[in-house]
Amino acid sequence: MASVKPPQSQGDSIQKKGGRRRDENNRIYANPLPITFSQVENKFAVTALGIFGISAARVLNPRCEGVFDPATRSVWITNSKDSMILWRHGFFGKGNLSRSEPSWLVRQINIRKAAGKQMTSEEVTAKRRAERKQFKLDRARAIAAAAAEAEAAFAEGRIISAEETRTSIPSAATWKPTPSIRNAVTPPSERSREEIDDLDAEPLEDLEHMQLTLPEAFFLAWALDSWTSSIPKRYGHAVYACTANVYIFMQLEPMALPDIWRAFQAAHMPLHLEAPLGHGHALRPDNPFLVNYVFLHHYRSLGWVVKNGVKFCVDYLLYKRGPIRPGSFPVYDDPEDAKSSPYNLPNVAPFTWQWLSTINRVNSQVQKTLVLSYVTIPALSRVSSTKISSPACFEEYSVREITIRRFVPARMRD
Amino acid sequence: MESHPTYATLATFLQQYPRTAGATYQTYNDLLLAQQWSGIEVIRLPSCERCGFRGRRPEAGTFTYVVPCSLSETVSIGWLRSALEEFGHPTEVYLAVNADDSSTVYYKLSMGITKPPA
Repeated sequence: MASVKPPQSQGDSIQKKGGRRRDENNRIYANPLPITFSQVENKFAVTALGIFGISAARVLNPRCEGVFDPATRSVWITNSKDSMILWRHGFFGKGNLSRSEPSWLVRQINIRKAAGKQMTSEEVTAKRRAERKQFKLDRARAIAAAAAEAEAAFAEGRIISAEETRTSIPSAATWKPTPSIRNAVTPPSERSREEIDDLDAEPLEDLEHMQLTLPEAFFLAWALDSWTSSIPKRYGHAVYACTANVYIFMQLEPMALPDIWRAFQAAHMPLHLEAPLGHGHALRPDNPFLVNYVFLHHYRSLGWVVKNGVKFCVDYLLYKRGPIRPGSFPVYDDPEDAKSSPYNLPNVAPFTWQWLSTINRVNSQVQKTLVLSYVTIPALSRVSSTKISSPACFEEYSVREITIRRFVPARMRD
Repeated sequence: MESHPTYATLATFLQQYPRTAGATYQTYNDLLLAQQWSGIEVIRLPSCERCGFRGRRPEAGTFTYVVPCSLSETVSIGWLRSALEEFGHPTEVYLAVNADDSSTVYYKLSMGITKPPA
């Protein structure tokens, strides 16, 4: 669809507006991870320590609390302050009633006020879809009218030139939504307006929570921590949750890291094999949690934001700087070396060319690059049971990428 | 999940079909709160070992049927056909695919060939 360029006199003010929003976004989303550094007041201390190569700033890890929900295989953050911290510092998680950032409460408030001044992304999309629907209706009507006129003219013996027909049919560039459409989207229908008046009496409860996938939660709890590789040997006695980014609770009990490790893997086990917290049941290296975690850790460490890609028929989407910046890369996750396993890991069998072409087409349509990412899972014989009972087993996994782009020699000369 | 206000409506159904509890719960919440459907009814689908939903989309007159499933599950045509039967043979049904991060995508499935909308 061609975009309409604004007239030159408005160009500058739009430029400034865009710049201001960009700066505001740059300020809010400045931190790529939920770790900040404290400001050090004493300039002398900074320089003195700087000589030895030591930084005086302390690492501040904001503490967030989450609840592990085995049924949905996720960790829920119900505190909206924690949700905002995790979202703004690295785009972790997703609002369970929204497309990305938890915005359900804001949308409900907007519906109540029926002013619609501050539109969330869902509302913008809804408005765009309604306008497109109306445009299609108008165009269909115009085509039908032109055809009828042509028929009538033919019957009379007149000839209508092609240019006249073309101008009467609206194109995407010249069509403007009628005012009735603009009003139709924002205010609700009569029925819901009565409900809103009733609801005004009671305050609106936020029924939305932020949902983290198990790999994301484990990344925040374990990888962004001050843990070193010697800790797993002593895990029976060490004290956890002192510098963890996310405290994970199961029902009302805070979970310690080894419990989290076992429970997250047990969540993927078929129900009839599940023992409480996976005790006594053999852990396998091809557990979906482990495979997905290796993938997430690899790309997060390289600075990508990893999001679920089910809406684009791929496994994951990689964003350079959060969904605000366009130009993301859907990544297809393809594990090898899977031995007989009770897990139904996707994409283990070699895939067909038709499938690959389909995915490639869909993604080039939406202007994203397709990357196939291969996660190699170690064989059962190579990973001892002691190793797999801790994150030390991650060193046996490896990730490699292949980028696929369609090449058309005739058209891609430059 | 248990402490959420909408759990109470679904409690008996989720306990009966624990394997699909997560997907069912997420779909129900999405339909009720995010998509703002009205008159949502839970319908048991014993052959698929889960519950489906029937409700009305906002500004729509007819009922729409939804079957929840999880991204990690495999679905077969026979399974979908039995779901349609247990719904009472509607013309079309929506398959709600849930991912772990709570993204839900809906696919519209009909019996036989259907012309795409204009």
